[in-house]
Amino acid sequence: MQSMKERIERLLLKVQKPARYIGGEVGSIIKDKSKVDVRFAFCFPDTYDVGMSHLGMKILYGLKNQRENWWCERCFMPETDFEALLRENNIPLYALESLDPLSEFDFVGFTLQYELSYNNVLEMLDLAGIPVLAAERDDSMPIVIGGGPCVCNPEPLADFFDIFIIGEGEEVNIELLELYENMKHNGCTKLEFLKEAVKIEGIYVPQFYDVSYNEDGTVKAITPNIENAPAKVRKRVIADFDNVYYPDAFVVPFTQIVHDRAVVEVLRGCIRGCRFCQAGFIYRPFREKSIETIKNETKCLCEQTGYEEVSLSSLSTSDHTKINELLSSLVDYTDGEKINLALPSLRVDTFSDELLEKIASVRKSGLTFAPEAGTQKLRDVINKNLTEDEILRTCKTAFEGGYATVKLYFMLGLPEETFDDVAGIAELAQKVVDLYFEVPKQMRGKGLQVSISTATFVPKPFTPFEFEPQDTPEQILEKQAHLLRNVTSKKIRVSTHMQKNSILEAVLARGDRRLGKVIYTAWKKGCYLDGWDEHFKFDKWMEAFEECGTDTAFYANRRRSYDEVFPWSHLDYLVSHEFFVRENKKAHAIQTTRNCKEGCSGCGIKKEYGGVYCGAKHNT
Amino acid sequence: MAQNITPKLSTLQIEKFDYRAVYAKCGRARYISHLDFMRSMQRIIKRSKLPVWHTQGFNPHVYLMFPLALPLGTDSRVEIMDFALTQKLDNETVRKQLDEKCPEGIEIISVAQPVHKHTDIKSADYEIRFTSNIGAGECIRRFGEFMQLEKIEIEKRTKKKTVNLVDIKPYINVTEINEQDGWVVLKLCLPCGNDFNLNTNVVLDAFCERYGIEIEQICTQRTKILLGNGENFT
Repeated sequence: MQSMKERIERLLLKVQKPARYIGGEVGSIIKDKSKVDVRFAFCFPDTYDVGMSHLGMKILYGLKNQRENWWCERCFMPETDFEALLRENNIPLYALESLDPLSEFDFVGFTLQYELSYNNVLEMLDLAGIPVLAAERDDSMPIVIGGGPCVCNPEPLADFFDIFIIGEGEEVNIELLELYENMKHNGCTKLEFLKEAVKIEGIYVPQFYDVSYNEDGTVKAITPNIENAPAKVRKRVIADFDNVYYPDAFVVPFTQIVHDRAVVEVLRGCIRGCRFCQAGFIYRPFREKSIETIKNETKCLCEQTGYEEVSLSSLSTSDHTKINELLSSLVDYTDGEKINLALPSLRVDTFSDELLEKIASVRKSGLTFAPEAGTQKLRDVINKNLTEDEILRTCKTAFEGGYATVKLYFMLGLPEETFDDVAGIAELAQKVVDLYFEVPKQMRGKGLQVSISTATFVPKPFTPFEFEPQDTPEQILEKQAHLLRNVTSKKIRVSTHMQKNSILEAVLARGDRRLGKVIYTAWKKGCYLDGWDEHFKFDKWMEAFEECGTDTAFYANRRRSYDEVFPWSHLDYLVSHEFFVRENKKAHAIQTTRNCKEGCSGCGIKKEYGGVYCGAKHNT
Repeated sequence: MAQNITPKLSTLQIEKFDYRAVYAKCGRARYISHLDFMRSMQRIIKRSKLPVWHTQGFNPHVYLMFPLALPLGTDSRVEIMDFALTQKLDNETVRKQLDEKCPEGIEIISVAQPVHKHTDIKSADYEIRFTSNIGAGECIRRFGEFMQLEKIEIEKRTKKKTVNLVDIKPYINVTEINEQDGWVVLKLCLPCGNDFNLNTNVVLDAFCERYGIEIEQICTQRTKILLGNGENFT
């Protein structure tokens, strides 16, 4: 009998980037499995390059492995070349530390980061020899759990998962595994465990809820069918964010991954309240780490990993209350160690000269802004509180500082959008081009390039736009054409997002349990790795919808009333329904809402969750 | 780029002490490509906290030189890497400090001061062990036949993206071929370095293609890096 390692190694030289499939990286944790009580396979439903960049995995991997008798391992979706070889040679999908098949684990956990990765969950389970449907898994099979942002509406995946974790994972994962460890020693069944697990806040077990539907196809009610399951499952929040667990070591991959650098999370949540942005609401309230904590974590990670670049991660880094002080103190360290400091997620309006200088002293790369909409009216609709003046002023500062590449991100299909707003995108880009030529030649960089990138707006649950229809494909195509007609400068490059992806994303984001059948059917037809254009099979998806008797328009293009029961109505992300209704009405009235720093707008989050700006009085 | 650009370390003239390490790359590390390996080694050096010498340009980075790339899938315990420190440290101390930070499969075997120049490297010895679909004895017989050919031409892509036919026969130096427990053990000496490089895979692919042989399992090891006069590169 050959060992798993030998069997895997025989295949490695036949595939692209084989170092992704054999583990052994610095920072990966190996334990003696005879001394381990709980085994957890943390799965990222996409390829190694993408999954290894995910911060949440690094946090939860380190957290669980702190316990001597728990072992958390990693697993990713193989590329199609390696997957074919695995199937051909009957090698089940395995975790990278022990190389043991996923079926030998107590838990198989997936992080759900984007809708188009859903089918990879099915493919990975199947590749591991685990039945994809929860109802078909007996007690010998691992418990399949899911977490991450998409879990705020997990209903399309309800058939495939045993447990969803709602909200932030640092505490609830520990509580869940502790409960499991105790119950495992007492020889309990899976069902008994699940019935106990629902008593933990943030644990949602879909099989304990019944969903009924109205005649028009909308959800009528979602009701618990066992005693202990709460009628509303509330998300978990880490109130003391400055003291939350953060890993002092990362697994350092051999192959280059998407974000190949040390990452330090500086704050969580966002004060802005842009109405299209799901992250801006589901990660509320805004909490931040102290400079001391951030500095220590940066130093510790850089030393352990040997990375030559560290990035500050958050939804909007410049909203840290002490951003300038923070950067000064970090630059002192990184400069001394010759480490690059990367600052993604800076907002245009806070982009001061001083800040620019700090980044410039590190490295001069391109600038990326996300005005999201082309006109002030539409930016007010989406509550992107950013004026044209601010955008242009920042671009001017940047050009004067030697930058010559500007990327501008927009969305098409926003509520209240007209053709004038679309033309406004081109006008704004043109103004940026004109501005560049106004800057004296000796100051500006060479070779101006302004890139416009437009994505299609996808309405998401737990946002003020959860009621909104998505534009139909025809509407979007017209708008894309209109934009192109209005771009005249050769310095402006326009790229548009694949419309078909956005439709599926919109359907899955606000879908209900009945979509489980569609997902299963599409997967059977060979749909997975949908996030990769070369693997995306839209026609097969459409066949699946047709065979299951549903259509995409019901989910994507339908306006919902304020009192409709949503598939996610039984989940509580702390921001109130009333707030979303209020914000939606204000959007249509083209009224903005101030950010949390300027004053509370009453989103419903209580002070006890540790928000920096929470607890002040608000007027509605 | 704007005005006022000065290199960060322009004011400092930092002393430089050269070191040459012999390292092993085998086991799990054999699947790391050369490009990825260079990055990994840079991180090993950073983690070791050695007073490493950085390049003195606009973007200072760890000075690191590899005279030869090791093909993906090939093991070796004789690989060479040059780097520099800003202080003179004892060779064994340097070796230990680096080796401690190496992941499984990478090992720092020795550290010394460089003797030869990279351009002095002319060839390398390899040991290839493999099994195939036709059995070891038959395979060895065919290989003998293969080496009797007048010419062994392979296609080589040039930088201009045209394809040239190159006769590799004169470059293949078989030092030994025999059978061990059903495996073919083939020892080759092939040219490498600045002038001409011949990869073991190229030789084996040409052989397999000619006789329709399919290799089942293969272990390739580079065993020596040699100068023009046949002595070891150090």
